[in-house]
Amino acid sequence: MKLYDYVLSPSCYKVRLMAALTRVKLEIRAVDFHPGAEHRGPELMALNPAGSIPILEDGDLILSESAAMLTYLAANAGPEWLGSGAPEETARIQQWLSFAHRLTASLGGARLHEMLLRPGDIGALQAQGIAALRELEAGLVEQGLRGMRFIASDQPTIADIACFPYVALAPDGGIPLAPYPAIRLWSRAIRGLDNFIEMPGIPRLHELKPEPHVEPGEV
Amino acid sequence: MLSDKTGSWTPVALSADLPAGTVMPARTPAGRIALWRSQSGRAAASADRCPHRGMRLSHGFVRGEALSCIYHGWSYARTGNCLRIPAHPGLAPPETIRVETHEVEECGGVIWVAVGVPTAQPPGLEGVAPLRSLTAHAAVAAIETAAGAKAGAGGLVWQAQDAQQIRLLLAPQGDEQTLIHVLLDDNSSLSQRIAASRAVERLRRTAEDLQTKGIAP
Repeated sequence: MKLYDYVLSPSCYKVRLMAALTRVKLEIRAVDFHPGAEHRGPELMALNPAGSIPILEDGDLILSESAAMLTYLAANAGPEWLGSGAPEETARIQQWLSFAHRLTASLGGARLHEMLLRPGDIGALQAQGIAALRELEAGLVEQGLRGMRFIASDQPTIADIACFPYVALAPDGGIPLAPYPAIRLWSRAIRGLDNFIEMPGIPRLHELKPEPHVEPGEV
Repeated sequence: MLSDKTGSWTPVALSADLPAGTVMPARTPAGRIALWRSQSGRAAASADRCPHRGMRLSHGFVRGEALSCIYHGWSYARTGNCLRIPAHPGLAPPETIRVETHEVEECGGVIWVAVGVPTAQPPGLEGVAPLRSLTAHAAVAAIETAAGAKAGAGGLVWQAQDAQQIRLLLAPQGDEQTLIHVLLDDNSSLSQRIAASRAVERLRRTAEDLQTKGIAP
């Protein structure tokens, strides 16, 4: 499986993270997204006429939507990530997978504006980002009241992975995460999963690493 | 709020939102704090600034009974004294290296932080249990107008439409923002809790509309 990837893209990270969590080895093909705009070049436009990344290629299957990539990885290597199949849970997974597009447009738009100087109305993007974070926070609060730690279930699903990266990187777009206690706990739960991997701006839980011990004189 | 002559208590977070071994940022009228809970379960509050290089300690991490700075790993006890400087493993940090701390009280599932030296305990919250905390981009006055009630020593009692009575603790955060802690009758059912959580979202929208339109007193 080959992933056309950009290390700073939260959408690409979704796919790398899902692959790591399901122990799937990806062949990574780095794309010069910035400043080269390689995703708009002829080779990648031939694969994905929408001109976006990530792109996941497996034989003659070419996927250009990250939600489909998460589904494909889970169906292949970790069906538990697709949920139990209970009607309400299945609906919640679809609800938050679609909702993730709004995170990309708002939090992702604010981040591109602040980091890569993309044009846009930063005030409006941040306001939409805050509205989306509040919706996720309310959803997580209700899940917590139902005794569930994750957005669609008590176990993590592809819906959590679809929402997590843009949320965790919201401060890059000038949107603080301090006002969202349920999002803080949920983010910790995801970062503490076995086989979790990092991306720039989303560190592992530092305290899970053993405390380094240096003897006097070694420094 | 809840001030007396020498100090006051501010409700900074719900106990459930600060599990053992974690740290979070919070605000009191005296400034930003790093609120943390040790592995053994004791809550503590320090100034949100490492005395070494000024990094926010709320970006740090908790190991055992210490809060560590993410920048160079200096770690602090709940009483504020520096316990360890990783780059100088042989050094016992001198007493003069300290981070300012605040007194913390936890009762009824709410974490209160002292500003100054309060002579009384935080208010008792008998019969209610915490539901959630949320932040409104509205001042206390706008929330009081939206709720049609004034905040007193034990918070604001709001009779929500189609929902049971809801108790709100309001903590001003500066910049016309208010942290709202929501408490409910401790016998509430799951559906009542969910209804109350949604009702408070509506209250926040109303208060923020009032704030934006400038029609709050």
